[in-house]
Amino acid sequence: MITVVTSAFGLLVAGLLVHLMRRDHLHVSHGVGWSIAIALSALLGFAPGIFDYLAGTLGVSYPPILGVGIAIAALLIKALISDIESTRLKVKQQRLIQRMALLEADLSELTEKKEVGD
Amino acid sequence: MPHSHSQTATPSHLGRGAVIIPALDEESMVADVITSIKEAVALPVWVIDDNSQDSTARVAANTGAKVIRLRERLGAWGAAQTGLREALRLDLDFVVTMDSDGQHLASDILPLVNTLARENADIVIGSCPERGSALRRMAWGLMRLSSGLEHSDMTSGFRVLNRDAIKLLASAEASQLDFQDIGVLLILERAGCRIAEHPVTMTPRTNGKSRIFRSWSAVIFYMLQTLLLGAAKRRRITPRRINPSPDAGGK
Repeated sequence: MITVVTSAFGLLVAGLLVHLMRRDHLHVSHGVGWSIAIALSALLGFAPGIFDYLAGTLGVSYPPILGVGIAIAALLIKALISDIESTRLKVKQQRLIQRMALLEADLSELTEKKEVGD
Repeated sequence: MPHSHSQTATPSHLGRGAVIIPALDEESMVADVITSIKEAVALPVWVIDDNSQDSTARVAANTGAKVIRLRERLGAWGAAQTGLREALRLDLDFVVTMDSDGQHLASDILPLVNTLARENADIVIGSCPERGSALRRMAWGLMRLSSGLEHSDMTSGFRVLNRDAIKLLASAEASQLDFQDIGVLLILERAGCRIAEHPVTMTPRTNGKSRIFRSWSAVIFYMLQTLLLGAAKRRRITPRRINPSPDAGGK
């Protein structure tokens, strides 16, 4: 049963990804990473035996926890990357807002001077 | 917009300067603040309006200040940094930063500017540690502990900065800061800048609310963020290095 659930979940999320990209809610560059993650989870959903094999090789006595651990690590890395990107964008946005304010102040000064000149 | 007044003092020995005032919804105070500065010193006054919802920008402009209006709210530091970028672009020699709520007295500007020259400092903090409540003093103690900074008033927004300090603080690195307190001082100290303090008088806020001390949750978040920043960027003094990114003032 778990195979069906995980496989169905993988397919559902894959469909959602395509939908989000078609609607321009998700940039295609992010879509690539997510597609790989979903493809891997769907593959593991269809063939959970892979985990049993991996767990045995790595000496993990309870195979499902290996999948949970890998998933948590992957999500943590993804969240960190998102925060790094968000920090970079915040700085960029702040400096653009400042730049725009300075340009607007310049423009307003020039307009005033021109009006006085006229 | 240079302002000349026969009665005002001109700190011309330091070159060209300006007074930067970040302001948010201060329509009731900003005119008095600008007027008092104009009466005290012959320096242009720039009000950086942090997207106020009241008529702060109009009142400031009518009182003779140059107004730079932010289209999105950036906080007190983001607004002050806008002024620093303008100062860098205009190649000013020094700037004074002041609060817009009337807590800082214009009569202290000249002593602060003179201290900058006398102490050959890069920044002078207008210090008033007496203003702190017991809780605030405890917070300052924790900040000192985490950051390694030893100044008596690290949160004062009343400061004078020279050209080197302006360059450093106009940089993209400084744009990451949310507050104008220890993060700013740590950037300067790590670059080997000389930080001096001069005692000033601060009057209690008569209206409006502090941006930081508006609620307990905001205070707790501010403290956690500040202590973490202090610990992460704790001083590691390196040789003087004032080479901000080329876009510091321009982009």
